Amino acid sequence: MSTVFNLPVYGAGILLAAAAALTLYGQPDLDQKWGFMAAEYGARLENREVYVDPGELLQRMNDDYIELIIFDLREERDWNIFHLVDSERVSINDLPAQRDRLRNLSELSVVVLVSNDEILSTRAWKHMMALAKPNVYILEGGINHWLNVYGVKHEEQDDHAAASLDRPDGSLRHPFKYALGARHAAAQPDEHHVPQREYTEKVRLLKKIARAGGCG
Amino acid sequence: MAPYDLAGTLGVTGSYLVYLGIGFGFGFILESSGFGDGRKLAGQFYFSDLSVLKVIFTAIVVAMLLIFWSTALGLLDYDDILVNETWLWPGIVGGLIMGVGFVVGGYCPGTSLVSVATLKIDGMFYVLGLFVGVLAFNETIEHLDAFWRSSYLGRFTLPELFELETGVVVFLLICLAIVMFIGFGWIQQLIYGKKDPE
Repeated sequence: MSTVFNLPVYGAGILLAAAAALTLYGQPDLDQKWGFMAAEYGARLENREVYVDPGELLQRMNDDYIELIIFDLREERDWNIFHLVDSERVSINDLPAQRDRLRNLSELSVVVLVSNDEILSTRAWKHMMALAKPNVYILEGGINHWLNVYGVKHEEQDDHAAASLDRPDGSLRHPFKYALGARHAAAQPDEHHVPQREYTEKVRLLKKIARAGGCG
Repeated sequence: MAPYDLAGTLGVTGSYLVYLGIGFGFGFILESSGFGDGRKLAGQFYFSDLSVLKVIFTAIVVAMLLIFWSTALGLLDYDDILVNETWLWPGIVGGLIMGVGFVVGGYCPGTSLVSVATLKIDGMFYVLGLFVGVLAFNETIEHLDAFWRSSYLGRFTLPELFELETGVVVFLLICLAIVMFIGFGWIQQLIYGKKDPE
């Protein structure tokens, strides 16, 4: 029998075939990866364990013990009109660029995702879990709800007050007179001068599991 | 989805037993492959014995295929396993130092421990030197801190470097391994007039 048909040749052939098939099959994108993870983490969304009340977010904004990171996922237009103090505007498509940062967050770090309602932030939550599993939450009802709670009537057109949160479509439902960004009074209300809200605390600090390994 | 939190699932004792089992298997394979012998290990650098190169590189490409197929099928979260972060220039300098140590001493740190397990005297001295080196490094690194922390690239891997799909990189690395095995075999034949038994 020809020496070509020996074990190393078969082995190399199998490895090459498996690699070629892998090239065709591809690696999962964030949505596909979330599909794999949904059975394990989806209940947190269904049980609304990660949706934080505006009252809790305000409390956390004034909590010096934790390192709060607020990612505002909205379009630049809405961001310019209004955004929370110290929030960072990050497009959902740019989240992968935050991977190393998210992976290296301390145990005291808490990330809160903000969009106009909960549509974009919920999708971003899934992406962030697929990326790095940080300690991440979603602002309940989004900016529309926040402004319903802490908004200032006379800053809005026609003294607009509460906006309907029904049938969310991703849009900002408060019509502002001016684009004030974080200079708006509701961007960081004084927690001692706003109505106190009753809510169930959702934010928990997580103990990080050390990743280790290697070979000398 | 792997990797699993063994300590959370099996408890600390249970997880340590798993680590013990993996360590036993790892050590058994290394010793039975001849990786506890410094002459055999160093032989790869002189093309006199390529078995270490073949075993290691085969292990690398097989593990690589298993990792990325597992990731593709949703069995493993690749983002959740440790990939050493890259500090480019410190890594290059460290690699050179370790490479010279490997050629001269005949061991890498892991295989030196395997050699100690079989009571090899050269391995014991190597491990002693290893501990002294670790101690010296920790006592002096503050003077080299700027260099040690320089050229940081984070979790930087070949698909990002070459801007290629992971599967393509895996395929190319397997091709590289095959070409290397064949090429080094020819060099061995040229120098010593013989090849390793396959």
